[in-house]
Amino acid sequence: MNAASRYNRQIILPEIGDAGQYKLVKAKVLIIGAGGLGVAILPYLAAAGIGQIGIIDDDVIEVSNLQRQVIYKTSAVGKYKVDEAKAMIAELNPLVKVNAIAEKLSGNNAISLFEKYDIIVDATDNLQIKYLINDACQVTNKPMVYGSIFRFQGQVSVFNYQNGPTYRCLYPDENSSSANCTDAGVIGISVGIIGMLQANEVIKMILGIGEVLSGKILVYNGLNNEQQKYDFEKNTTFLLDKKAFEEKYSIIENTIEEISIGAILNEIDNQETLFLDVRNEEELPKINLKNSIQIPLMNLENEIERLNPNQTIYIFCQSGIRSKMAGELLQKKNFKNVKSISGGALALSQILKNKVAD
Amino acid sequence: MIEIKYFGAVAEKTKCAFEKVASSEVSLQELLQNLEEKYQFESLSFSVAVNQKIVSKTGNYTLQTSDVVALLPPFAGG
Repeated sequence: MNAASRYNRQIILPEIGDAGQYKLVKAKVLIIGAGGLGVAILPYLAAAGIGQIGIIDDDVIEVSNLQRQVIYKTSAVGKYKVDEAKAMIAELNPLVKVNAIAEKLSGNNAISLFEKYDIIVDATDNLQIKYLINDACQVTNKPMVYGSIFRFQGQVSVFNYQNGPTYRCLYPDENSSSANCTDAGVIGISVGIIGMLQANEVIKMILGIGEVLSGKILVYNGLNNEQQKYDFEKNTTFLLDKKAFEEKYSIIENTIEEISIGAILNEIDNQETLFLDVRNEEELPKINLKNSIQIPLMNLENEIERLNPNQTIYIFCQSGIRSKMAGELLQKKNFKNVKSISGGALALSQILKNKVAD
Repeated sequence: MIEIKYFGAVAEKTKCAFEKVASSEVSLQELLQNLEEKYQFESLSFSVAVNQKIVSKTGNYTLQTSDVVALLPPFAGG
């Protein structure tokens, strides 16, 4: 089973040839998402002989996935998608190296992961992560092959290709919302068609043939077979370097550090630091320290000016849940050093009683 | 007449894929305002194309007869 005969039908294409096949074998492509789009793209790229394919997704297969995620078997329900996908490709084309990554893409792993690949394929199903992928592609200078679905319609584009326009040039509003397949409904054929168009862009970029969908968004409607391309331009109002990326994503995704009251006994009544009580005023026990203030969680955002973002702040509530939420809110507002006291006010009052007894 | 095309969740709101409106020296901004009042897009976000090119929604471009405007929301399914 040699490679020349396996790939013969595409090697005889004048646009590919031995040189083109060599490019495919040397290429490294990362597919983000092993859902409807991802599993449409993956087998075709693997069959064509892309040398290395990474696929990242932390989901397990559910029975409701099977009507559109057609590489998965009914018997595999409950297993990790990426493990099943890797096993499927091993049988389809053992010459391809598949890196199955059963993780969620985040600000913490995106940059190091993207650096290992040439092309990043967005096969995800929510808007927030598309901004993350876009920004990480910009930082690592990789093209992003975008595809997404709304019911019978789909969009395809290639962002950040040879310094071309990005997702943010097309959709600057990061806080917008759009229904995914779970909420809006979808038929497998729609994701198949859009996935194929994405795979086609990947192959074209690797081979350097045809016209890449850079600076253009293709919109396809499966109900009437209408297909349109819209041009858009690069605007440079949002450019990220690595440092800005890390600030934007890593800090937000950092979970709030929990600290036990025993570890910060010396901080009680220390005016350098602050204890922030985010409970409502009527909640007991009352905690009054020389360095404590009370701002109920629901008022925190409005009264944030009362706090100093550079001060060390120990947050507590009754049990430790609201204090974590408050901590996350403060971190998003660029507070540098916030910690949540585990056990909350009850643990704190116990310590204070013991302190008096001493 | 100006033709307006709707896609995705925007078309769900307008309940049609396209419509034509009479054009009389209307700017793109005014047209978008009229559509907002008519359909209440509210939190729906979308980009706008005129004649297959994405343009600024706040530019003071005056629409010409036979211009085709498209409202393109981001899709999120996959």
